[in-house]
Amino acid sequence: MNVPGMTETTEAVARARAGDNEAWGQLYKDYAPAIFRFCRRALPTREDAEDATMEIFMKLRDKLNQYDQTRSFSAWLYRVAANHCWDILRRRKIRQDKETEDVETVPLEHPDPSQLDKLIEQRTSEEVREALHKLAPRARMALVLRYYSDMSYDEIADELGVRRAFVGVVLLRARHELRQALEGTAALAAGGTP
Amino acid sequence: MSDPANPVSQEGPDRTMDHLDEITCLMYAERQLDRERAQAVSAHTQECAACRILLRALERESRLLTRAMLEEDEPLPARLAQFQTHSQRSFQWIWGLIFALSATGLYALYTSFIEPWMTRLEQAGLGGTSLLSVLISQGAFWKGWQSVITLVEVLAMLIVAGFAAVIFRRRIGRRGSALALVLTGMCALLSLPSPASAAEFRHEDRVTIGPDEVIHSDLFVASGRVRVEGTIEGDLIAAGGEIDVTGHVTGDILSSSGTLVVSGQVDGNVRSYAGNMTIRGKIGHNVLIAGGDVNVDRDAVVTGSVTTFGGHLTVDGQVGRDVLAAGGTVSIAGTLGGGLKVRSGELSISSGAIVKGPVDFEGDNPPEVASGAKLASPVHFEKLKHGEDDYRNARYYMWRVIWCAAYILFGLVLFKVMPEFSAECVGMAERYGPSLGVGLLSIPGIFVGSIIACVTIVGLFIGVSTLFLLWAGIYFGLVVAAAAIGQWLLGRTRESWPLIGRMALGMVLMRVAFAIPKVGGWVKLGAVIWGAGAVALALYSRLQPKLPTIQAATVQPAPVATPAL
Repeated sequence: MNVPGMTETTEAVARARAGDNEAWGQLYKDYAPAIFRFCRRALPTREDAEDATMEIFMKLRDKLNQYDQTRSFSAWLYRVAANHCWDILRRRKIRQDKETEDVETVPLEHPDPSQLDKLIEQRTSEEVREALHKLAPRARMALVLRYYSDMSYDEIADELGVRRAFVGVVLLRARHELRQALEGTAALAAGGTP
Repeated sequence: MSDPANPVSQEGPDRTMDHLDEITCLMYAERQLDRERAQAVSAHTQECAACRILLRALERESRLLTRAMLEEDEPLPARLAQFQTHSQRSFQWIWGLIFALSATGLYALYTSFIEPWMTRLEQAGLGGTSLLSVLISQGAFWKGWQSVITLVEVLAMLIVAGFAAVIFRRRIGRRGSALALVLTGMCALLSLPSPASAAEFRHEDRVTIGPDEVIHSDLFVASGRVRVEGTIEGDLIAAGGEIDVTGHVTGDILSSSGTLVVSGQVDGNVRSYAGNMTIRGKIGHNVLIAGGDVNVDRDAVVTGSVTTFGGHLTVDGQVGRDVLAAGGTVSIAGTLGGGLKVRSGELSISSGAIVKGPVDFEGDNPPEVASGAKLASPVHFEKLKHGEDDYRNARYYMWRVIWCAAYILFGLVLFKVMPEFSAECVGMAERYGPSLGVGLLSIPGIFVGSIIACVTIVGLFIGVSTLFLLWAGIYFGLVVAAAAIGQWLLGRTRESWPLIGRMALGMVLMRVAFAIPKVGGWVKLGAVIWGAGAVALALYSRLQPKLPTIQAATVQPAPVATPAL
């Protein structure tokens, strides 16, 4: 992740907490692109991501005094962003009549490593991002938390409200969904033994 | 998932040897296995080519995912590039607009009403720079509460429309556009030119409108003696020593005079500051008089209500609705279609009197009611309380304590039933400006909006429900304000019981402040506005994407341990 150095950030945070607008401006400048990308990956539309980024920073500023300066600022930032986006997704999920996420009972088939390799070689980052938006909210969120925010399984479990032991399964299912979205069919999942 | 002690499992019917399952490979690749399991997986992949290939494929997939996620594919939108200053200004922008609109409103009010009136006053000979004289004259031109209600109705509708626009902003566009739409509408309304009104001005020692004379507009008169024998097709706005109306006024009479005698017909209202007023004719609507003696003669008919402040009120004629009197003495000998509510020194009801509504009298002595008087119900008499008695009475303090306890109990229940929302409300109360501003706008707005809802097609149920919610919100607002005060004194807390403790302390202090004579009422009003505003803001915040629970983050985890592709 492209974030500024720890010492510099700590100073900027301390000054922003003391009411230094310039320092806050610097923090925003440094972190807004990363948070926007996070929201862009996690939320369905660009407009949602823009709104969420704005809201996240407005709330961050209000809550800056609650930040424990002995911890990583960027981790705290992503935690807040993740909470915010997950809240949005959950709220929408409640409103949705159909939710295609409840597939935990469906057994996962073992992938064919050669087909998986082929798929990885053929697909570009852009295609992966497009496919990401076809996933169910929780699967998408799990992948974003893990591969964008670099969150630990414990943190992901905390964010998504699942048991820590279940995080691996959530991630694996998310990957399967992603593969299917990339393939356009479930051909990959029909694989044989490794 | 595989057995934790033995990550190597048999999967698939066509397997000829034990292999790692995918989840184990994934967790190994992501360094999520414990040391023992990781060693077992490592040993297995040294020997099993198939599992090694799967592991590498998963690692490559992880890298592809990470790369796809982190790639800077889209620049930061211009809207967000300026967000820092924009967000900083966002509240200022909104409040700035509100203040700007208030200024626009005041300007519109000044140019539409005050300035023309002042011009008319000058034309009528009442010019001058004395603020007092202007105020008194303005009082004479007071058109009644209808105009204020209309203004508040518009405000209420705009507030409701604003909230609706914000709530449904995703359907009609961005928040800014919705707000801009509403505010543009407000500006447009305010900038609309006021309808032209015709008026005639007379300023002479004696002004007489002859029996055959017809004034086809409002008439502004300033004179020692004013006689209206003809017809005024509009309002009569008069200031003078004596005003005598024997003719016909199709609008209202607004006057300030030594004496006012209405023997003719007034289709509208009579609102007057008069030393003495006598009504012998017919008044189409209501009568509102301040000061002096008021006589509603035997032949007089007032279709609406009669409201008087001060002096002596005698009603011998007919009043279609209620009679409300404060101060002085009241004598009733005529017929009242409504009730009689009097707060004065004396009340006497003569034998010929008929009162079709309830009679409430608050005075120093019991009313004198003649045996022949026909009353719909017995007179409800209450001894006038003069305030200082309360403080000497132990019951007063007992009830204060009971009310305080009731509020604390109410707050306790709310804080336990809705801990998060209550804490949010208290947090909002710490933003004094927005809370007070929103409270000031929302309380009258919702109130008038509910009344409108009750009487319009929206329906009684919604209106009454909204009123009930407003009532509950006002009480909740007091509790929230108390908690905020408690937090000032004892410091902030997010925990439930400490917050309730602070609320209790704040409530005790607030109730003490409420009990201060004269000042207490204003303190209570301020607390209600402040607290209710905070509740409204918290509700608004709830309608927005929810504020995340911010927790101290753990040390940022190490990146996925996979070499670059």
